[in-house]
Amino acid sequence: MNIHAVWAIYRFEMARTVRTLMQSIVSPVISTSLYFVVFGAAIGSRITEVEGVAYGAFIVPGLIMLSLLTQSISNASFGIYFPKFVGTIYELLSAPVSPLEIVIGYVGAAATKSIILGLIILATATLFVPLQVAHPVWMLVFLVLTATTFALFGFLIGIWADSFERLQIIPLLIITPLVFLGGSFYSISMLPPVWQTVTLFNPVVYLVSGFRWSFYEIADVGVGVSLGMITVFLALCIGTAWWIFSTGYKIKK
Amino acid sequence: MADEPLISVANLSKTYDDGFEALKNINLGVRNGEILALLGPNGAGKTTLISIICGLVNPTEGSVTVGGYDIIADYRQTRSMIGLVPQELATDAFESVWATVSFSRGLFGKGPKPTLIESLLKDLSLWDKKDNQIMALSGGMKRRVMIAKALSHEPTILFLDEPTAGVDVELRKDMWALIRRLRDTGVTVILTTHYIQEAEEMADRVGVINNGELILVEDKTELMRKMGSKRLTLDLQQPLQEVPPALASYDLELANGGSQIVYTYDTRGERTGITGLLAALNDADIRFRDLSTTQSSLEEIFVNLVRGAS
Repeated sequence: MNIHAVWAIYRFEMARTVRTLMQSIVSPVISTSLYFVVFGAAIGSRITEVEGVAYGAFIVPGLIMLSLLTQSISNASFGIYFPKFVGTIYELLSAPVSPLEIVIGYVGAAATKSIILGLIILATATLFVPLQVAHPVWMLVFLVLTATTFALFGFLIGIWADSFERLQIIPLLIITPLVFLGGSFYSISMLPPVWQTVTLFNPVVYLVSGFRWSFYEIADVGVGVSLGMITVFLALCIGTAWWIFSTGYKIKK
Repeated sequence: MADEPLISVANLSKTYDDGFEALKNINLGVRNGEILALLGPNGAGKTTLISIICGLVNPTEGSVTVGGYDIIADYRQTRSMIGLVPQELATDAFESVWATVSFSRGLFGKGPKPTLIESLLKDLSLWDKKDNQIMALSGGMKRRVMIAKALSHEPTILFLDEPTAGVDVELRKDMWALIRRLRDTGVTVILTTHYIQEAEEMADRVGVINNGELILVEDKTELMRKMGSKRLTLDLQQPLQEVPPALASYDLELANGGSQIVYTYDTRGERTGITGLLAALNDADIRFRDLSTTQSSLEEIFVNLVRGAS
C-alpha cells in the first residue's frame, strides 16, 4: 500500500478544513446551537418528555446525525469534485495510487472532519441540555460508521457531478428531507400507523434510531437492524466506488 | 540491453466514446536518456499519446511498457518512474507552493525530503515564493510550480506537454536550460510542442504526429541534414527536354517545363559542387539568365510531411 500517498491526501484535505475553519466547524456548530434554542428551549418547553427523555435532550442524537450526514457528504464530494473542476485530478490519476488508497485518503479525511464536528456538537449540546450517553462505545461505532458511509456516498456524488449545481442537488433535494423526516426531531411512534410504515423506507430512520439508542436506550427499530442497514448502505457505496474506478466512469476518458 | 527502449509503444490506438479516432496504430520506442520532441498540429494526438502512457486515458488497443513494466498491470512501477507536466495550467489555488510540491512527492509514494524540495524550488526560481498561495502567482510561476511538482518524486522520465506554450522568452529559455540539465542527470524527456525551434533547440530525436498517426521518428541530426540541403535554381535561356548526359553526375532536376534546372546540394559538405556544375554547364553550352538559392527549413519539412500524410 502507498501509505505516503494516503497520508498526503489525508493531510491535504485536513489542511483545507483548517483553512476554512469558519465554514467547516464554526458554521455548523452555530446552526446546531440555533436548533437547540428553537426546538429545545422555545418549542421543547411546551412538549412533554418523549419516551421518558426531555425533548431538548431527545433531539441531540438527531441533530448530531443531521450535521454528520450533511457534512460528511459535502466534505467528501467537494474534496474530489474540486480537483476535477480545476484540473488537478491529472496528478491523482497519474500517481502510483490504487483506487482504495484514493478512497481511504479522501473519505478518511471527510469522515474525520465530520466526527470531530459531531463531537463538538455533542459538547455544545451539554451547554443547553443535560445529557447522558448510555453506551459510549456504541455511540462512537455509530458515529464512525455513519460518517464513513456518508463520506463515501459524498465521494461518489463528487465523482458523478459535473457542475456545482449537481454537487448540491442530492444533498439538498434528497438527504436533507430524509434527515428531517427520519425521526431527528420526533419518535416515529408519534406518527399515525400508515406514516410509521412509510417512514421505515427512509434509511436515515435506522441511523438516528441506532444512534439515539446509544444515548438513551430507546429506539424506533432494533439496534441490530440499524447496524445492518448502515452496513448494507456502506457495501452499496463500496461496490459503486469499485465499479467507478474499474471502468474509469467520469474520471478517465 | 542498452538498446532496448525505455518506453515501448506497440500498436496503440485510441477511439473516444464519440467515435473520434485520436490514435491509429502507434508504434514508438523512446530511448533511455534522450530528449524526444513530438511535433504535430492541434488535435494530432500528441496529448492523447502521453495521457495514455501516464495513465490519464485508457487505450482502446495496443500496449505500452515503461522500463519493461506494463502501464496497466504494473501501474505502480511505471507511474513511479514518470513525472508529468500537462498542457493546461492546472494548479491548486489556496495551498502554498511548498505544500503543493510536498503533496506531490507524497502522492508518488516518497517520504518527505525537504532538502530536495528546497533545491527544486531554488532551481526554478520559486524559493522566495515558497510560502505564497499559488493563486497569487503569475502564469509563468504557476508553470514552474507544475514542473516542481512533476519533479518532486525524482522521476527518471519527464513528460512535458507543450511546456512553453504561452510563456515569455525568458521562461522559455529557462525551461530549455532546465531540460538540458535534467537530461544531463539521466532523465529521459518527452516533450510535445508546436514550436519547430523548440524541437531544434532541445531534441535528440523528433517524432511527427498527424491525424493520430506517427508519420516519422528520426534523429534530429538527420533532419538537420535535410534542413541543411539547399537548392540552386537556374533559369535557362533555352528550355531543355532532358538533362544532358554530360551533367548526369550532378543531382539535377528539370522544372517549370524544362526552363529551370534545380541542383540540390549539402551546404555542410566539404564541396558543394556548384563551381564544377557551372563549368560543366558552360562546357555543354547551356546558358542561364538568372540563378537563385533556397533552403528548406525543418518547418517546411514538417509542413510537407503533415500535408503529405493528409
